[in-house]
Amino acid sequence: MSDFFQYLVNGLTIGAFLSLIALGYSMVYGVVRLINFAHGDIFMIGAFAGFTVLTTIGVTGGMAIPAVLAAVVVGSLATGVVGAGIARVVYTPLLKARQLSLFIAAIGVSLALSEGVKLLTGARFKSYPDALDGGQIMAGSVRVSYAQLVLVVFSVVLMAVLWLFVTRTVTGTAMRALAMDRDAARLQGINVERLILMTFLIGSVLAGAAGVMYGLYYTQISFGMGFLIGLRAFTAAVLGGIGNLPGTMAAGVLIGLIQSFAAGYISSRWTDVIIFGVLIAVLAFRPSGLFGERVVERA
Amino acid sequence: MLRDLSTRYGGWLLMILITAATGLFLDDYALTVAASTLIYAILGLGINVVVGYAGLLDLGFAAFYAIGAYVSGLLILKLQWDFWLTLPAAIAAAAVAGVVIGYPTLRLRSDYLAIVTLGFGEIIRITVINLEVTGGPNGLTGIPPVSIGGNEIVTPQDFFYLVLVFFVVVLAVTGLLARTRLAFAWRAIKDDDRAAEAIGVPTRRAKLLAYVIGAAVGAVSGPLSGAQLGTVDPSNFTFLTSLFVLLVVIIGGMGSRPGVMVGAVIVVALPEALRSAGDYRGLAFALLLIFIVIIRPQGLWPARRRPLRVPAETTPSEDVEQMRAGRLDVDELSRSFGGVTAVRDFHLTLDAGEVVSVIGPNGAGKTTAFNCVTGVIEPSRGTITLNGNSLRGLAPHRVAAAGLTRTFQNIRLFDDMTVAENVLVGRFAHNRTMFRPPSHADLDTVRRALDFVGLADAADRGASELSYGDRRRLEIARALAGEPRVILLDEPAAGANPTEKHELMRLIGRIRALGIAVALIEHDVSLVMSVSDRVIVLEYGQTIAVGEPAEIQRDPRVIAAYLGMPEDPEPDLVAEVVR
Repeated sequence: MSDFFQYLVNGLTIGAFLSLIALGYSMVYGVVRLINFAHGDIFMIGAFAGFTVLTTIGVTGGMAIPAVLAAVVVGSLATGVVGAGIARVVYTPLLKARQLSLFIAAIGVSLALSEGVKLLTGARFKSYPDALDGGQIMAGSVRVSYAQLVLVVFSVVLMAVLWLFVTRTVTGTAMRALAMDRDAARLQGINVERLILMTFLIGSVLAGAAGVMYGLYYTQISFGMGFLIGLRAFTAAVLGGIGNLPGTMAAGVLIGLIQSFAAGYISSRWTDVIIFGVLIAVLAFRPSGLFGERVVERA
Repeated sequence: MLRDLSTRYGGWLLMILITAATGLFLDDYALTVAASTLIYAILGLGINVVVGYAGLLDLGFAAFYAIGAYVSGLLILKLQWDFWLTLPAAIAAAAVAGVVIGYPTLRLRSDYLAIVTLGFGEIIRITVINLEVTGGPNGLTGIPPVSIGGNEIVTPQDFFYLVLVFFVVVLAVTGLLARTRLAFAWRAIKDDDRAAEAIGVPTRRAKLLAYVIGAAVGAVSGPLSGAQLGTVDPSNFTFLTSLFVLLVVIIGGMGSRPGVMVGAVIVVALPEALRSAGDYRGLAFALLLIFIVIIRPQGLWPARRRPLRVPAETTPSEDVEQMRAGRLDVDELSRSFGGVTAVRDFHLTLDAGEVVSVIGPNGAGKTTAFNCVTGVIEPSRGTITLNGNSLRGLAPHRVAAAGLTRTFQNIRLFDDMTVAENVLVGRFAHNRTMFRPPSHADLDTVRRALDFVGLADAADRGASELSYGDRRRLEIARALAGEPRVILLDEPAAGANPTEKHELMRLIGRIRALGIAVALIEHDVSLVMSVSDRVIVLEYGQTIAVGEPAEIQRDPRVIAAYLGMPEDPEPDLVAEVVR
């Protein structure tokens, strides 16, 4: 039984940052109908930016907590700038082109980012400074590390802020309007281009923060790490009903749990088979994801 | 004829001869790269069917490559089959996998489809890595070279020519495929699958066929790759492979077979050529890719299609002059959405040669009633019969095949196709054969339908180039090409100017004269009153009046609900602003 709770804790942790990444896919898809293939690599850039900050400041003595905070802030700002910059330079000119061109451009960006980081930092794994080292809480025989706590709390806070932003602010409302009908939004005086960039910015900030947390949790990063995580997060976004933010958050946690339990009770070698199997089964019966989506189509 | 053949296939012949001749001058390394390029080109021709023709984004195409390679490799190694015998087995296995992945996902939107195919690709890859019979992460080793009549093909040059032969065969097969009716159905589905379904294309079957055929074609590359390397290595079937295969068609040009060759050279041969760039190879490739997409989104060699050969003159035939007579009966039809009843107890009888109009304010349930009748949405209650046969519960394409075709309120043409091709797709309601080119009867009917609406001169123009009124008429021609018993016209006069309305009125009269029953949704009262035999008035889903035009115009309830109100609120608005 204690195994069960341990897997639960681990699953929630993984789910927390998968949700953060999945939100970026979901938001971007909502406004520009793009599967932003490079999003996983944005996450990777966040991890590396955080790595640079942590190794520069150092995590010894009393510097650990400020260093972690700085890493998260710098990491997410860096990815925000990179993400919005790419959107401005590569995606904006293609918004009027066919959907597929945009998608292929995203694949190109993904390759360029991972190859670029490989050139800068080398192909080897980097071990992340263990800023939250060793600390843990035991609840019975279930171990909850400080890293896990920080990660989950931080993710929940970020998601709550995002939710308030989207539902309570004028900009957030405009963003939802944009997701429903770009032309109608434009006619209401919404600056569509700026808002699209903003969506990329927010999605990338979340992914950047997730990247730093990933590094702190797994303590190993590499230029290619964005691919698989991105794939799982994207699966979560689809499962949750892409464009549906609460659904995406829930599905992110669900995928995290599936991953953890599958690895625990079956074998980590079959994890992805199970994740994708669940995805296919769900979509076969519920074509718009577990929690539906808001895509209106007229006959 | 000979000249015709040479202009049609001369380019291909030249391309193949040049490729074959280059094989004489390349060194072994270059020949190996060239053979790999051709293997990717075969994969590209396969995914071109799925993505290029049918428009179904597939991100897991490497799965079929893997299935082909493993099935062939295992049969050779474990059961000592001959390479040539394993080929059909590999193709069949991939085709079955195409059904398995295609069938449950047919309802999905294309982006969801993409992720499902991606998941399927990963499932196959991880499974072969985890299973013992497939050799785990090491894959299969020791696959012998191909032998033809006792001669083993071992040199890179011989192997290159072997692959070239395979490529040419696949090229010819997909070339034949591109001329069939199925290919037209695919293009229509790619443009607007709901419209295609509504006018008679069996979209699910066509999509499934795209998967199966694409998978079967792509699977050919698997055994070839096994024979080339002597091994089947699971790391060759990663998601990256699927992406590169997809890039072959995107860089080359979607739906373009010469484009596939160009794309394969860029995807396989170019990175080899970039070897001198060393570590910068991946980055250079990525940047080049972005650059190509921005500069040339349609691909380097976009598809160029021959215009459909519509006959200059039609052979007189009874088909169009004497359409099949039909009687449509709709009884007690109701449909509610949640708690809202959009249509309640809708009743309609329509005989051959009659025109019945349905009018009512916006939101009265007119289009909902039409959508129930045509099978687009399922009615909550009621019966729908055509000549006594029930249409209820049939898929829209079956309703169309039964003899009931339609047009759409917000014109839904296939904009990437020509005028004549649009009409040709309408033929599926009459005959849904897929594996042959359009017949003479098809082309004849296309010509007659175009003549009928007065668009014969525009046959080879793109549907998107037409004026608004012509687009409306093209939609009607497309619906007529299916030789319907009943035609439903959904607001055909919307947005038309007075001249166009007049023409439309005459056109409806001529359709009726053919013996076709016409059901019309329309807001233009003068048009409705002048062409209709009977008028049905809806308000809030209820039928508030039925009768001949003259009666309707006098009915006080109708005047209160509909006729008395300004048909268009704008004049009032203007008046208010002026005041």
